[in-house]
Amino acid sequence: MVLSIFKVLWNNLKQGPSTDPFPFGETFTPARLRGKVTVDAEACVGCEVCATVCAGNAIKHVEREDGSGKDFYVWHNTCTFCGLCQHYCPTDAIRLTNDWSTAHRNEDKYKMKEHKFVAYASCSKCNQAMPHMPHAMLEHIYGTPTLELENIYELCPECRRQKAAQQFGAQIHD
Amino acid sequence: MSIIDSIKSKAVRSPWLYRINAGSCNGCDVELATTALIPRYDVERLGCKYCGSPKHADIVLITGPVTSMVKDKVLRVYEEIPDPKVTVAVGVCPISGGVFRGSYSVPIMLDEIIPVDVNVAGCPPRPQAILEGVAMALDIWKTRI
Repeated sequence: MVLSIFKVLWNNLKQGPSTDPFPFGETFTPARLRGKVTVDAEACVGCEVCATVCAGNAIKHVEREDGSGKDFYVWHNTCTFCGLCQHYCPTDAIRLTNDWSTAHRNEDKYKMKEHKFVAYASCSKCNQAMPHMPHAMLEHIYGTPTLELENIYELCPECRRQKAAQQFGAQIHD
Repeated sequence: MSIIDSIKSKAVRSPWLYRINAGSCNGCDVELATTALIPRYDVERLGCKYCGSPKHADIVLITGPVTSMVKDKVLRVYEEIPDPKVTVAVGVCPISGGVFRGSYSVPIMLDEIIPVDVNVAGCPPRPQAILEGVAMALDIWKTRI
């Protein structure tokens, strides 16, 4: 019992102070720490499931008036780092980094956001704008998609329907 | 000029911290206690110390969405803190309302009723982020003396 204090003393002498040197030096960050959100606009399908599940309503999708795509906003000052968006994202487009540095001056309050532009693709047949289908999503649905499948997803829903009807009609005629 | 500067540099001492819980869930308060009490983070290295009275405070840390019940009390305590003072909003609740935004009892954001200098976002923020915010507040406080 008495000797245990000597053990603690000896360990303290051997290991030195346990105080983290931050803010005067480097600190440690666990790799899986949930911090600021980042968005990969290339992988986003624009399904808005992240905005639906977001606990603090930190995520906002705003359609552009010219129909070229939509703006993807994540407000760091409302985000609670819960990770629901990352859990539900079908294509892993939205991720939580381990960046915990969130202190800022009040002037920069409305600059603390992640803003990405998710561009719409255009139909290869009729040129109409439509949400683009990233390769990650096709892999998620079909495993390894064939070239034919990829070509189908370059068409807008209307052209896709027409193509399906034509194929079906051709089968009946045969 | 130089005399004023030298007086200013002498006047800068250890700022004392004061916490106001404006309807917080206690998550941020636990992180604030962690920042101060656990030797790993140890905010006292920056010369800061928590004090029990607003009349001794220099830097005020406010947690929680400012609910309608606690709003007047926050203002009353804030008025008691002598100038110069620096306000730090800790957690997403005082900054934007956080998950309570739009609730019937959370009518305002903190910076609509009192001037906020530093925001530390997070739910709750990491102790390191709070240390970063306090260091930022120290810089601001030194310019105000």
